[in-house]
Amino acid sequence: MAGKATPLPEAPSPGAGAPGPSLRALPSRNGSIRVTGLEHTYAAAGRVTKALEDIRLDIAPGRFVVIVGPSGCGKSSLLMMLAGLVAPTAGRIVCGGRALTAPDPDLVGVVFQEASLYPWLTAQENVEFPLSLRRVPRAERTQRARDKLALVGLAGFEDRYPHELSGGMKQRVSIARGLVQNPPVLLLDEPFAALDEQTRISMGDELLRIWEQTGKTVVFVTHSLTEAAYLADQIVVMSARPGRIVDRVEVDLPRPRTYAMMGTPRFAELRQRIWEQIRSQADG
Amino acid sequence: MSADASTRGAAATRRAGGWAVWLGALAVLFGTWQAALSLGLLSPMLLPPASAVLATAWDLVRRPDFLGDVGVTLAEVAVAFLVAVPLGIALGVAISESDYWSRVLRPIVFLVFSIPKTIFLPMFILAFGITFAQKVGFGVFSTVFIVLISTFSALESVKGDHVRVARAYGATRRQIALRVYLPSMAPVLLEAVRLAMIFNVTGILLAEMYAARAGLGQAVATWGQNYMLRELLAGILLIAAAAILFTEAVRWLEARCEHWRT
Ligand SMILES: Nc1ncnc2c1ncn2[C@@H]1O[C@H](COP(=O)(O)OP(=O)(O)O)[C@@H](O)[C@H]1O
Ligand SMILES: [Mg+2]
Repeated sequence: MAGKATPLPEAPSPGAGAPGPSLRALPSRNGSIRVTGLEHTYAAAGRVTKALEDIRLDIAPGRFVVIVGPSGCGKSSLLMMLAGLVAPTAGRIVCGGRALTAPDPDLVGVVFQEASLYPWLTAQENVEFPLSLRRVPRAERTQRARDKLALVGLAGFEDRYPHELSGGMKQRVSIARGLVQNPPVLLLDEPFAALDEQTRISMGDELLRIWEQTGKTVVFVTHSLTEAAYLADQIVVMSARPGRIVDRVEVDLPRPRTYAMMGTPRFAELRQRIWEQIRSQADG
Repeated sequence: MSADASTRGAAATRRAGGWAVWLGALAVLFGTWQAALSLGLLSPMLLPPASAVLATAWDLVRRPDFLGDVGVTLAEVAVAFLVAVPLGIALGVAISESDYWSRVLRPIVFLVFSIPKTIFLPMFILAFGITFAQKVGFGVFSTVFIVLISTFSALESVKGDHVRVARAYGATRRQIALRVYLPSMAPVLLEAVRLAMIFNVTGILLAEMYAARAGLGQAVATWGQNYMLRELLAGILLIAAAAILFTEAVRWLEARCEHWRT
């Protein structure tokens, strides 16, 4: 089925191989992310919550960075700011060489937790959704969405509604939607948290395959230490209240990653190190 | 693919089941009716035979004076409905847009909703006289609160992630309203439409029965006062059939978007 799809218009350097006048590709923009002095405070119903403090990130294009930390430490808030959905209280985000102040779908694709697909649209229509917001011509829209569904292994499922798809398939559709505008950056907020363990591992493999094939910069949020160590080039460890970065771990496991690596001493060491960072912060 | 087939099979079974239930209900209704008469449980003075009532119904739907009454009531119901539903939705959305007005007005809406609207009918007569506007006004008043409250819950049923996704992909406010809010709210709003029609028709029939020169409610009330049981029962059957048809049509639409409620 995948053989029927035309070759993917993907290129390792974003925008380079992507044609089409409506794409508004900006060849000069890469997927680098630089965050300095980022801070965020929520004020709701009279209560003030400092969600993030002194966040600094420097992510080179094409890297796979995983943010890990306990629930409530501000991971989602950080990701929403990287997506331009929430304005930081203080600090600066520079993405692709320019200050990020509002959502920019040419630059950043997002994948949220389960069930963020529109249940009234088919898989194909869900993937087309970002394009249809910008009035991309129908034929181009259809083709690009089909290509992305094929990329995530869902050729043949275009006309299914989300409720007719398994949890893993739904997240594949979400990933296809995140990639359909061919942005250099892909942000994922606990995308596999609701999946069972087997599906979760194979979705991780899928994501790594897609990442290697497309060369995106990936920022992946999770609270699973195993997932973090399995996927990442670099793990950013956060602590709660207020959310701060307490460690950055370079993962030197070779690629491609395999399931067998989870049993190696190096993998155990990495997990151990992250765990101790998180635990010491929780105790202190 | 087999999942498809089984879903479709299940749907067909449900549909067939639906028809069976309908036929069963009708059989029970008319069976009990005739049984009550032949067993002498009810006097034919109080309950004419079903066949006679059906014959009267058939006569009625060809009588110009009855059709005139139907026309008056339909016009009142339609105008009140077309005013109350958009008004209720618009007010519900407007109130929810502002935190301040939500806090102030929501409790009031719920309080007013709990008051039986019937007791306000005399005030409508004082304000509007016995007129078309009075019937429509009372219909709107009877309906608008249920639409408002349904709109509140429809808005609450919109998923934060669905809005966030649209914003992340650069949707304008208008696009978010039309392509996220509207479809998200549709299942709850359809339910509101169904309930609204019940409240609306109830209000208008009551207003007609209480004081009117024309309309179905007035006809039914007159038949009752004059002990015209065949016409009375025939009128009840016809109104019931029309109401059930409308409700089932909306429920059919609701069923079509049932899977939108995740
Ligand atoms: N919209 C909001 N209003 C007020 N507080 C919020 C809001 N969103 C998140 N928070 C608070 O900010 C903190 C971080 O939340 P979040 O970013 O969702 O963390 P995580 O994704 O790591 O679980 C939590 O204490 C949460 O209660
Ligand atoms: Mg979160």
